[in-house]
Amino acid sequence: MEPLLRVEDLRLYFRTASGLVRAVDGVHLEVGRGRTVAVLGESGCGKTSLARAVLRLLPRNVAHYSGRVVLDGQDLMGLSEEQFRQRVRWARLSFVPQAAMNSLNPVLRIRDQVAEPLWLAGLVRRPEEAQEQVEAALRRVGVPVDFADRYPFELSGGMRQRVAIAMALILRPPLVVLDEPTSALDVLTQANLLNLLKTLRWELGTSFLLITHDVATASELADDVAVMYAGQVVEFGPAERFFRQPLHPYARALRASVVSLREERPPTPLPGRPPSLLSPPEGCRFADRCPERFDPCGQPPPQVSVEGGCVMCWLYAQEASRAR
Amino acid sequence: MVQAAVTAPRGGVRQHPAVRVLLYALARLAALFAAVVVGVYLTILVANMGGYVDQIKRAEIREQVALAVSLNEQLRRLPADVRERVAEEMVRNEERRLGLDRPFLSRSVAYLRDALLLRLGFAERMTSDTGSRLVRQIILDRLPATLLLFLSAQLLLFFTSVAAALVLSRRYGSLADRLVVALAPTSAAPAWFYGIFLILVFAAGLRWLPFGGMVDAPPPEGKLAYAASVLRHMVLPLSSLALSSIFLSVYAWRTFFLIFSSEDYVELARAKGLPDRLVERRYILRPALPTILTSFALGLIGAWTGAIVLETVFNWPGLGRALYQAVGLYDTPVIVGSTILYAYLLAVTVFALDVVYAVVDPRVRVGAGGQG
Repeated sequence: MEPLLRVEDLRLYFRTASGLVRAVDGVHLEVGRGRTVAVLGESGCGKTSLARAVLRLLPRNVAHYSGRVVLDGQDLMGLSEEQFRQRVRWARLSFVPQAAMNSLNPVLRIRDQVAEPLWLAGLVRRPEEAQEQVEAALRRVGVPVDFADRYPFELSGGMRQRVAIAMALILRPPLVVLDEPTSALDVLTQANLLNLLKTLRWELGTSFLLITHDVATASELADDVAVMYAGQVVEFGPAERFFRQPLHPYARALRASVVSLREERPPTPLPGRPPSLLSPPEGCRFADRCPERFDPCGQPPPQVSVEGGCVMCWLYAQEASRAR
Repeated sequence: MVQAAVTAPRGGVRQHPAVRVLLYALARLAALFAAVVVGVYLTILVANMGGYVDQIKRAEIREQVALAVSLNEQLRRLPADVRERVAEEMVRNEERRLGLDRPFLSRSVAYLRDALLLRLGFAERMTSDTGSRLVRQIILDRLPATLLLFLSAQLLLFFTSVAAALVLSRRYGSLADRLVVALAPTSAAPAWFYGIFLILVFAAGLRWLPFGGMVDAPPPEGKLAYAASVLRHMVLPLSSLALSSIFLSVYAWRTFFLIFSSEDYVELARAKGLPDRLVERRYILRPALPTILTSFALGLIGAWTGAIVLETVFNWPGLGRALYQAVGLYDTPVIVGSTILYAYLLAVTVFALDVVYAVVDPRVRVGAGGQG
């Protein structure tokens, strides 16, 4: 079956004072209907830029933006900015920003901000008509209804994030991009929000593209995991495999760096730093830190299909060719 | 349960909102009044050169009396010692008339009281254009000209630069944008500097526009012709005011809008699919409104006193030139009079801004939610 979202060879480069930053450099990704894909990776590996590229929220210094983003069979890259705004934004693709961000307009009441997409979509003629829907949306995410008349600064961080989630879901879009939705919150609030997201996914059947650096968060929500390293997705596949037996050496290292309840083993940190996105190495980008580095790693690694996904590593290219 | 716990303290804080707002307003007014008192008293001290003006006046009185005595036939015939005594008596009378017999500090307090009560009194040397010696009349005669020129300049500049800045912030890095950034330093030169050039080119060289003044002499008959003549006289001063600040102003506003448009909620608004106009209005201009209003209001007050040198260059009959004249003549009542008006106007504006902030920005509202 055609997946809900298919990202092919997506590239997003930025112009900076020190040169071209290849933040997203040929990303392949799929989000199935009703599934949650977690994009995992260290800070600075291009996760947030990937979210931006999918959402087409491009900063001013974009140097290059190409590839294919196919939502529901339609190539979004072919749409003009205005077409994209009218046909895709929020109704089919919405967004929950990072919890630390002041993502709500400080001078508008919660009610008006949550209702805004409804009257933009022409579902209500005036914001006042949206009252019932707004209150239902707030109730669904566990925000007391009388908070609707408050201003964002009168809410706690967790409540604000719930409002952001209510807002993202108000038009019932098939796909929601969540960019580190819980990272800036305390552990308890984080757990509450993750439970809420799990419930919502189950109730509404929405697909989530979850951007996170936190393996634990991913393990809570993800059906599939995309491991990102230096602007590329190095491994993509079912979450179950990622947590049981990751393929790519980087994915293994990432997996080993967190404590597990099921195994008796101390977490092992991964030494070194990711390469600069200004001038990534020509061959495999992980080669310098890879414990299993061997001869072909100086060449760009191939995209090897494995069951339920793919991996970008010479190790498996060898196996694939040997098997043949 | 959760709701009750959260709303309870809020209800507690809001027990007497009217009383709280009133107290806050009174406290603000008191603080502003104190600032006005200090400002005006300092002006009185400075305008009198801390009492040194008294000595100048005493010397002048002696000179005048000596002159009067020497010109008076009757007095000249008196013996020298008697004449001396009469002269001394005249000096003392004159000093008493001007209050110079009392120490300056005690008089300065009386000046302060009169100023605060807007009893502006008589000018010491100047007369108004209509021939009155009342300070109030001197100011009122000059004010319309200054307001006409500087208010229209301020309105024109403000709205043009804000509108242009919005357009530029949308086209960050475009040719027009880079041009404005490059031209911003032209505002380092004051308006009168451009004024001299414009006069050279358009009045002296091309003879298209008048050198200065506010209307033709003699003033044309009929309201329309009069207005047209005033407009023609306003072109050069307005242009020099515009030239001296438009690029810097556009640059500043454009940077301000760029900062506000990189807020996270602006990005989210775009993700929500709001059209650009709406994003600009609700997510950039609206949250920035307090700053915009402040700048606008303070600019308007600035229009009051005008610009001394520009009015002089263009021979514009405004308050700035009157003030300049007053400074040159040590005419302290005129200096203090225009200062007190300015101070009161500033205080009233700041108070009005406080009220407006509370209306346009929920975060400023007194004690709302305990965080604002």
